[in-house]
Amino acid sequence: MPKPKVAFYWCASCGGCEEAIVDLNEDILKVVELVDIVFWPCAMDFKYDDVRKMKDNEITVAFINGAIRTDEQEEMANLLRKKAQIVVAFGSCSHLGGIPGLANFWDRETIFESSYGKGCPSVDNPDGIVPQTVSKVPEGELTLPAFHNTVKSLDQVIDVDYYIPGCAPPPYLTMKAIVAILSGELPEKGAILAPEKTLCDECSLNDSKPEKISIKEIKRISEVISDPEKCFLAEGVICMGPVTRSGCSEEGDGKCISANMPCRGCFGPPPEVKDVGGKMISALASIVGLEGEENMSEEDVEKLINQIVDPAGYFYRFSLPTSLLRRKRMSNPAKEDRYNG
Amino acid sequence: MNPKSVIFCCSWSSYPGLQLSESLYEDPGKQNNIIISMCSGRVSAELILEAFNNDAWGVMVASCPNEKCEHDANYKTRRRIILLQKMLEQFGIKPERIKLEWIDKGEAAKLKLAIDDFSNELRKMGPVLSIN
Ligand code: SF4
Ligand code: SF4
Ligand code: SF4
Repeated sequence: MPKPKVAFYWCASCGGCEEAIVDLNEDILKVVELVDIVFWPCAMDFKYDDVRKMKDNEITVAFINGAIRTDEQEEMANLLRKKAQIVVAFGSCSHLGGIPGLANFWDRETIFESSYGKGCPSVDNPDGIVPQTVSKVPEGELTLPAFHNTVKSLDQVIDVDYYIPGCAPPPYLTMKAIVAILSGELPEKGAILAPEKTLCDECSLNDSKPEKISIKEIKRISEVISDPEKCFLAEGVICMGPVTRSGCSEEGDGKCISANMPCRGCFGPPPEVKDVGGKMISALASIVGLEGEENMSEEDVEKLINQIVDPAGYFYRFSLPTSLLRRKRMSNPAKEDRYNG
Repeated sequence: MNPKSVIFCCSWSSYPGLQLSESLYEDPGKQNNIIISMCSGRVSAELILEAFNNDAWGVMVASCPNEKCEHDANYKTRRRIILLQKMLEQFGIKPERIKLEWIDKGEAAKLKLAIDDFSNELRKMGPVLSIN
């Protein structure tokens, strides 16, 4: 029997998710024994045409990491969808939009301005040249993929069968998913292949939380020497544990928590949370300034809340494109013509 | 264009007055969607975001004033709304599009006035920009 065929692809990605595959260490040899890797541009020499020539559904499973930011990525996602029986969104960027998704607080115009225009002090570009999809040169035409105005998660572009969360996904979850797929023991379509409880539910610091938390001051992690025995949130450091899915470490405690850092939320929301930002606002509002609340003036409350410096960036660090609001509303819609030739 | 707003009313303070006030129930343009909640404390931030996700121009929460809340939740509501306003500004949605009003029992007239004022402010602001 021919071996099942597997493809790996990266879109708007930092490369960490590719690294996460390599992090399977010796296990990758087991995987290679069981499957044929037919496409993996980051690690092996394949061409897009190799994929184009494949029959539809010829690939058993395609793991796609990274968000969708350009035409090229969208085209490849669609191509792999056609050629693969199963598509897995691999990592936070693909699952939720991830760190590249934070670009949705800007648009193409403002991003190009800060990268190629006066907004970037190290750029000398007096003619204000920005990337074009087509440029004519004496030798002919040069093309670049179009840069989208809005970053999307993979499932906002193609149908996705499964998700492996994490920035980057931990090898044990990846291995579990590969074994499940190869043995045909698949969960329901659309499943997120990770535990359903919240990180707080699994956190060993949870017991250190007092019954009633009241925070007088919000501190950034850089401003405190945190006590490794105490819950971050109870200490006034924002930890995304209450709105984040557990599973980033096999041991239960979050990876960041074990490294004495608060959770930033890379595993995304557990099933009962619809919007991490909304849920985190409700969670924080019930503990910040709780003690003596009846004696606080509007100004006192505002002063306290203003200590949360960048709420949207903090809460949606990994999930802006898949949040309820998806992106910033901009008054200056991108000037399509300027960039698309 | 009539402004589309969602008004959350507490079932203890504003709702009884609302039932008596025909003028509030008569909303021929259906521009104000009045939703009764058990307590302003139950109006989660997710619910308000959902309203904006459904093209609301603005959201008002009518809560019991100071010590009058049956569930000690109105102060939490105040903090939730201030934080939400701050976050929505980062999304390009003006903080004035969310309003918290303290309305006590028997203050139906005040509620009506607050809703009218809010509608007028929203009319001036227009709809939230759509995503491009
Ligand atoms: S999920 Fe994290 S590790 Fe993976 S591509 Fe995105 S930023 Fe990199
Ligand atoms: S808030 Fe953070 S530190 Fe506290 S219990 Fe939850 S995950 Fe652990
Ligand atoms: S603790 Fe939070 S941010 Fe850190 S790896 Fe786990 S889910 Fe991700």
